[in-house]
Amino acid sequence: MKVKNIFIVIIGISIVFGQSGYEITKTLDEKDKPKNMISKTTMVLTNSKGKTRNSVMISKTMDNSRRQLIWFLEPKDDKGVSFLKIEHDDRDDEMRIWLPAFKRVRRISASKKADSFMGSDLSYEDMTSRSLDENEYKRLDNETVNGRECFVIEVTPNASLKSSYSKHKIWIVKDDLYIIKEESYDKRDKLKKEKSFSYIKIDDYDIMSKISVKDVQKDHKTDISFEQVKVDTDMSEKIFQEKSLKRLPSH
Amino acid sequence: MGLGINYLVIDDDMMAMLPETLDSRMSWDAVQDEFGSTEVIFIAFGNKGRTVYSSELFALLWDLTKALENVNQVEKVSCITTISKIDSEDGFMEISDLQPARDLNPPQIEKIKEYLNNNPTIKKRAVSESEEYLNIMVQPYEDIPHDIMRDVVVAIGDSILSADYEIHYGGTAYITGSVPTMIRNDITILLRVGLFIMAIVLMVNLRNPFTVIMVFSVIIQSLVVMAGFMGWMVFITGSERFYFTIVNSSMPIILLTIANSDGVHFVAKFFKEMRNKKDTKKSVEATMDTLLVPIFLTSLTTMAAFLSLSFAPIKQLMGYGICISVGIAHAFVLSSTFLPAAISLKKWDMNSKAVTRPSIFESLITYFGKTVSTNPKSILGSGVFIATAGIIGLLYLKVDVNIASFFRQGTEFRNSIDFIDQEMTGTMDIRVRLEGSMKNPRTLNEIVNLQDMLENNKKVTTSFSIADVVKQMHRVVMDDDPDFETIPEDQGKVNNLFSMYSMSGDPEDFSAMVDYEYSVGLVTALSRVMSTEEIISIVDEIEEYVGNLKSVGSASVTGMAVVIRDLVYLVVQSSVISIVMSVILIGLITSLFFKRIAWGMMAIIPLSVAVVINFGFMGLAGIHLSHVTALLASVIIGVGVDFAIHYISQFRRLSKISENNALTNDVIEDVGYPIILDSASNMSFGALLFSAFIPVQYMGGLMVFAMISTSIGTLTFLAAMAELLKHNLSER
Repeated sequence: MKVKNIFIVIIGISIVFGQSGYEITKTLDEKDKPKNMISKTTMVLTNSKGKTRNSVMISKTMDNSRRQLIWFLEPKDDKGVSFLKIEHDDRDDEMRIWLPAFKRVRRISASKKADSFMGSDLSYEDMTSRSLDENEYKRLDNETVNGRECFVIEVTPNASLKSSYSKHKIWIVKDDLYIIKEESYDKRDKLKKEKSFSYIKIDDYDIMSKISVKDVQKDHKTDISFEQVKVDTDMSEKIFQEKSLKRLPSH
Repeated sequence: MGLGINYLVIDDDMMAMLPETLDSRMSWDAVQDEFGSTEVIFIAFGNKGRTVYSSELFALLWDLTKALENVNQVEKVSCITTISKIDSEDGFMEISDLQPARDLNPPQIEKIKEYLNNNPTIKKRAVSESEEYLNIMVQPYEDIPHDIMRDVVVAIGDSILSADYEIHYGGTAYITGSVPTMIRNDITILLRVGLFIMAIVLMVNLRNPFTVIMVFSVIIQSLVVMAGFMGWMVFITGSERFYFTIVNSSMPIILLTIANSDGVHFVAKFFKEMRNKKDTKKSVEATMDTLLVPIFLTSLTTMAAFLSLSFAPIKQLMGYGICISVGIAHAFVLSSTFLPAAISLKKWDMNSKAVTRPSIFESLITYFGKTVSTNPKSILGSGVFIATAGIIGLLYLKVDVNIASFFRQGTEFRNSIDFIDQEMTGTMDIRVRLEGSMKNPRTLNEIVNLQDMLENNKKVTTSFSIADVVKQMHRVVMDDDPDFETIPEDQGKVNNLFSMYSMSGDPEDFSAMVDYEYSVGLVTALSRVMSTEEIISIVDEIEEYVGNLKSVGSASVTGMAVVIRDLVYLVVQSSVISIVMSVILIGLITSLFFKRIAWGMMAIIPLSVAVVINFGFMGLAGIHLSHVTALLASVIIGVGVDFAIHYISQFRRLSKISENNALTNDVIEDVGYPIILDSASNMSFGALLFSAFIPVQYMGGLMVFAMISTSIGTLTFLAAMAELLKHNLSER
């Protein structure tokens, strides 16, 4: 226990004094994360004219969301539709969708990383975990957001990543080490998206409870909230396969 | 007042002419609000005899698209570079960019070609029929003025596409963004030519530069006051009614003719008095004594005629009427104060030709007077005959407000529009807005049938809607089997198709076809340029068809074609209302002023005959009534009433002193010269005949015709009537 406390103090001191952008992001990346997670997710999309679309889904994720299963409960039009995504390092990600009315599973392509997920302002690239070594990090001056002091880091994707963004700016809360705010810039270096994040503490994990994304160029907004969150369940890796799509889980 | 010119707003939006409560306008506004601007600019480029399927052309298309997308005024660019393809690839449902990169290799180009050939609806919008030209559709933001948009797009297009390629621009935003400015510039140049000719005509007849300058000074001051007042009204009220639109283009010419009339009458009368009295002060006094009342009355009646435009359904005509009335009032004030003051201050040479000798026109007038007083019945008979021919001509009068037909074939601008028309999808658009669930197969099937009906028209080149996308997705889901390129039979399947698309593609791709909530759909048909008659016919047909749709809550037809149809009705309605109201008001004012209904009738009969003859002549000559030429009625009424009132005033005055037998001769000798001089100088606007624009050419020709019909009409028809009724009308 004592050793752990000493370790935290050392980390804390090194954070405060002169850590580079890379080091801060690495520390953030190495934070403990749940092995798996189940949640009921509500997504509200709002367009520039204030019209909204609501979706409710059950989501099961594993390996830091590299494996993901989503079943749609609402709206009525989408009920029964389900989606499976498995990320691979060495090949294209696998994405399958169950279309209950056709009684067919279709594989869908993920060739366009900038495509939006379910009409939201989150693209597949936004939802994919950023690999530390595929970006460059530049630490900027600290700022205060919502009364909390934050590290500010500019993240520039390497050319090999073929990102749809030129850079991101992230605000990391100094005390708890989680991202509270992010700005993403398009290839012309114009602000494209503003994101803000809220967290709750579950089993010592900082779990995202709300995400708000605004595409400032389209004036379109997405609010996602995660409820009934369960972490580190007895979920098996085996459920991330095609046949699971057809069975709507009882949450 | 002139400082108000700084606040003058020039508005080229044809839509602004439609009343906001009009069905097609409301539908248009709703469409713009839900789906963005439907007025687009097309850029077609390529080369005759060379295929578009080359890496060089695709690289240029890519560069042009990226440059256009970077512009703040552009909302969306649609072309091969931006189109998303929905494909079934090795068992995958793939939504990807049709053009994956700037630089393409031959297999990639072949893939694009294959996809377009499999999807003819998309191909029609992206590539010319001959496969020699690529097409780009540029959609501006709703609030961007078309002239600005046009300049931006043309500048980018011309800078990126080298001289090695043919470039053609088209589309409603391009036409409406170009034409009003071009017309205004054209009118401005020709107006200067007209003013120059007017100065020569006045100089030859008045033979005194000072008086010509004074007449011009009255004209220019009146124009400045009118334009300044218009600007101040925009500044004070902020109302669009006072915007300077394409219908206002005729305002300067009309005010010019009226202001010229006031000045010419005064100066001509002054010289006549000088010839007898040889005294400047006495001559000015006598001129004012004779002309102050008729000039006041002509100004009042003309103002009443123009204010009657307030009753017209085109709201800008209210501003037109009010502002031109201010200009007329100012011309009256200047003619009765500034002009006599200036003339009084000048030292006149009593032996100059201007004072001592009558001009060419004065000599002609004597002939007129004798002819009318000796043959009143024949002249009246001839007038009735001509008026009857005019009435017959009215039956052949056609309305055309289609801006594309403003240009003669063979002109550069017309060639560009014709190119887009013949090689691409066409310039005109028809939009059908449908309310109802856009996921309901019955609704979607009705949309498919509606598109079939639209495409049955030979002028319609293509149509597209959300139903096309549903059909395409259905085919892809069913392993690319062409038999499934249909609307699925149950709504669950349609729902699934949209869910599937949203997983992989951007639902924004549908934003031009369906609203955010899938409760409103838009069917777009593109067509080649149609005549106004064809537009009226197809729009009526579509309205009847959509009225019978069963699973659609409500349906409305809009688009440039409908706007043109409604403008036709508005132009006719505005013309009729303004003519009828003007005639009634002029009749009332003159009756009250002269205290006899007979004088009111005498003032309006020749005027009405001139209007009938003018429009009848247009019908017989095949000249179409447009929102530009329709206002010619105002010139006729504005100038015609002036002539009639001057004649009546002199008739009443001279009837007290002249012999009955010499009365008509005396009246014509007195007012005939200024009327003919006024008319001849205004005819210098025949210079508009040399315009590049057909309606402006017509306007020039009709100006000449209007001047002849009103001046000759007054000196023959009105004079003959007065001669025949002189015993009853005499004030003695």
